[in-house]
Amino acid sequence: MTPTTRTRWAILSLTGPAYLWLACTIFLPIAAMLALSFLDKSPLVPKPASFTLANYGAFFGKPFYWSLTRWSIELGLWVTLFSFLIGYPAAYALAKRVKGRWREAIFLLIVLPFWSNALVRIFSWTMVLRSNGIIDLGVQSIFPGAPTVDLLFTYPAVVIGLVHSYLPYMILTCYIALQAIDDSLIEAGRSLGASKFTTFRRVVLPLSLPGIISGAALIFVPVIGSFMEPRILGGTKGATLGMNIEEQFTVTANWPLGAALSFILLAIVLVIFGILYPFLRKQGGAA
Amino acid sequence: MRNLADAGIRFYLILVLVFLYLPILVMAVLAFNKSPLYALPFEFDLVWFKALAENDRLLKAGLNSVLIALANTVIATSLGTMAAVAFGRYTFRGKTMMQALLFPPIAIPWLVIGTAMLVFFFWIGRAMGYPGIARGLHAILLGHVALSLPYVIFVVGARLNDYPKALEEAAATLGATPWQVFRRVSVPILAPGVVAAALFAFAVSFDQFVISYFLAPPGVTTLPVEIYTSIRKGFTPEINAISTIIILVSMGLMLIVARFYRFGGERSGNE
Amino acid sequence: MSEVAVKGAVKHYGTVAALDGVDLTFADGEFFGLLGPSGSGKTTLLRAIAGFIELDRGEIRIDGTDISRIPVHERNIGMVFQNYALFPHMNVAENIAFGLDVRGVAQAEIKQRVGESLDLVRLSGLEQRRPRQLSGGQQQRVALARALVTRPQVLLLDEPLSALDKHLRQEMQVELRRIQRQIGITTIFVTHDQEEALTLSDRVAIFNKGQVVQAGSPRAVYERPVDRFAAGFLGEANFLEGRVSGIAGGVARVALGTGGEVLTPAADLQAGDAVLIALRPEKISIDPAPADAAAMPNRILGKVVAAIFSGSSLTYRIAVGDRIIIVFEQNKSRAPLPEQSAVILEWPTADNVVVQP
Repeated sequence: MTPTTRTRWAILSLTGPAYLWLACTIFLPIAAMLALSFLDKSPLVPKPASFTLANYGAFFGKPFYWSLTRWSIELGLWVTLFSFLIGYPAAYALAKRVKGRWREAIFLLIVLPFWSNALVRIFSWTMVLRSNGIIDLGVQSIFPGAPTVDLLFTYPAVVIGLVHSYLPYMILTCYIALQAIDDSLIEAGRSLGASKFTTFRRVVLPLSLPGIISGAALIFVPVIGSFMEPRILGGTKGATLGMNIEEQFTVTANWPLGAALSFILLAIVLVIFGILYPFLRKQGGAA
Repeated sequence: MRNLADAGIRFYLILVLVFLYLPILVMAVLAFNKSPLYALPFEFDLVWFKALAENDRLLKAGLNSVLIALANTVIATSLGTMAAVAFGRYTFRGKTMMQALLFPPIAIPWLVIGTAMLVFFFWIGRAMGYPGIARGLHAILLGHVALSLPYVIFVVGARLNDYPKALEEAAATLGATPWQVFRRVSVPILAPGVVAAALFAFAVSFDQFVISYFLAPPGVTTLPVEIYTSIRKGFTPEINAISTIIILVSMGLMLIVARFYRFGGERSGNE
Repeated sequence: MSEVAVKGAVKHYGTVAALDGVDLTFADGEFFGLLGPSGSGKTTLLRAIAGFIELDRGEIRIDGTDISRIPVHERNIGMVFQNYALFPHMNVAENIAFGLDVRGVAQAEIKQRVGESLDLVRLSGLEQRRPRQLSGGQQQRVALARALVTRPQVLLLDEPLSALDKHLRQEMQVELRRIQRQIGITTIFVTHDQEEALTLSDRVAIFNKGQVVQAGSPRAVYERPVDRFAAGFLGEANFLEGRVSGIAGGVARVALGTGGEVLTPAADLQAGDAVLIALRPEKISIDPAPADAAAMPNRILGKVVAAIFSGSSLTYRIAVGDRIIIVFEQNKSRAPLPEQSAVILEWPTADNVVVQP
């Protein structure tokens, strides 16, 4: 065997199993779901199914779905916005104002919860937000006699829970981008006469933009597809497209409709990535 | 003036950390509280942990989670390490595209992946005559491995990057056969990365909810799914207890990864 | 200690020829430098001798035996890599012992030979250290000791000193030469630093675009470059273009395009030939022009554009007609000639080297 053939065999046998697995569990299933979205009967029903565009028609036809999508996107935007407002300064502090051992330690602390169970974290918020929860008790102790603060099952609760879950993403991406900005760039800006704020606005902010955008993408996409968090923290309030899709598969058993909606969700996600790709690529180069 | 601003922003950082850890701490504290309704005053008691020991459903679900996570770790780490080695040591056409294909599992919302798997497995099952096999622990395992693979490949790949091919070439010039090179140079150097990737894979599987949710048949669940159904049905304080345990396990694992990856791995001497 | 012969080596990557027909013989015990710009093929040749690259055509023989079918680990070569490639998970002793270990040499003998190796590179006592605890120079010596302990036939060095700073590099150059002379092993090394190649090598080969432009002793290649590339790559050269106006007594008169005349050994030149002459800056002597200065062969007038002081020497940039001639002068404590002053440049006939364009 020539070295090149040996090499080809090596590459094939090394990457083959992993990619075969991915093909069977990710790529083929998605193709299957695409196919299903064009059928008129759920596979659970023993009758044969035929091609139809009715599922997609339902989405585009009913104003209910448009509202649902709009709410989901709104939720995504709120969560992303707050994650940015809270996370960017934190990332800046970590990248530029903390050094050495502390930086590593705090970075670890920020990323740690992110690797624990999302469900459990959301659940823990119910303890804090409900009446007789920590916030309520805290308010009562400062202002006795005030009305009970029950934030559970409200839209803000959903936002808070989601921000808490995804904040580390934003801090992470912004941190990487900010940390890559050489201090000498900032010094150069100051030496050319720009005030601290102007230097920040015209040097630091634009250079960290890829980080902000990647963080936004990483947050927005899972949020518009979320159903667990809105259900637990919002109950019936804060309906999302994700919740509806989940219902199609578990409650109403209308799989084809669920598949179509899933695909529309996927399409939205791909559009977002498509728009943001140039920024994401820059971030990849910087990191 | 500078110091004030600096102190201010550092204080802000602390606030953010408080925000991130507050609910977790609250939940952990309440797990040890005697009252079943988290009413204060706080009275330390292990009653809920004891109740947990009797709660067969939660225990069974926990066992399932651990077993799947272990299987997932073994499979995903092996497959992922092999692929990472191929990417790190060879250049070939289509490499960039293959690496790009690792993004969909992380970029696509888990909801879409989970439902897609359900549909696909169901069809396969029906074609084979066993529609029932669409759901189950095996299906969940298939899904978890798919999600873990990109992380494993990334972590091992990063480790490989730190160690250039020259090390293996040097060993060859010194007379080591390919097998000797693998055993005495490649494996020891790669080991910390592989261990870190394995711990990652375990965490990804252990914490995974969405995919497990769709692929779990009635009666057989993983821990996160069981917790979810319990929450929906009505609160029992054992959930606090088990949740605290889970959080500690996950975070503990990640701490080990961080320390090991940082201080356990040797860095090559030429920096 | 062996002779390495390369014949007709060709290697393509796609449409690019990394090696385009290379013939070289490395004599037993010789310290041979491969020199050239990036991508010229020198590293490709080295790696082909090591066994990491398979030639498309041509052969490589060590002491007459064709080694092209022999895998890397059976070739009995020693190699030092650009970044040393020390095994980070082993200490110095284990690193050096590695080659002996994989060959199954007895532990007692290993210990002894490792000790000898460390003595050779003057690093005794550092057996227990890890690579990351060593300085760049120390790592380099460990890499060298590791490559030599197995007593290979050939030593290959891939830009071994490029990662070191100037002083350390000069120190290591001396060390490297001393060790090589002591052992007498055939050594082939790659560098892009021409000064390094000149000081270390018994012979050098200049590579360009996959071919050997010129090979020979450093002195021969420097004093008698074969073409413009070789002349320009080693040190500095002034290039003068002209036409042969007449030949007499083994000497050709060349009329320069910029005016003036030079003489050069006639060799195979004919009257009317267009020639390119390379003239090294240090061969030219420079003096203030006397009032009645007249141009003669190998003697031209010019004006000082700049005088640049660099410690041990002085570099003059002289305007002659519309071009600049560079002159190096050793710092013999003479005051630099002022800018804009008229000067006269003179040099011997033998220093005019006719080169291929």
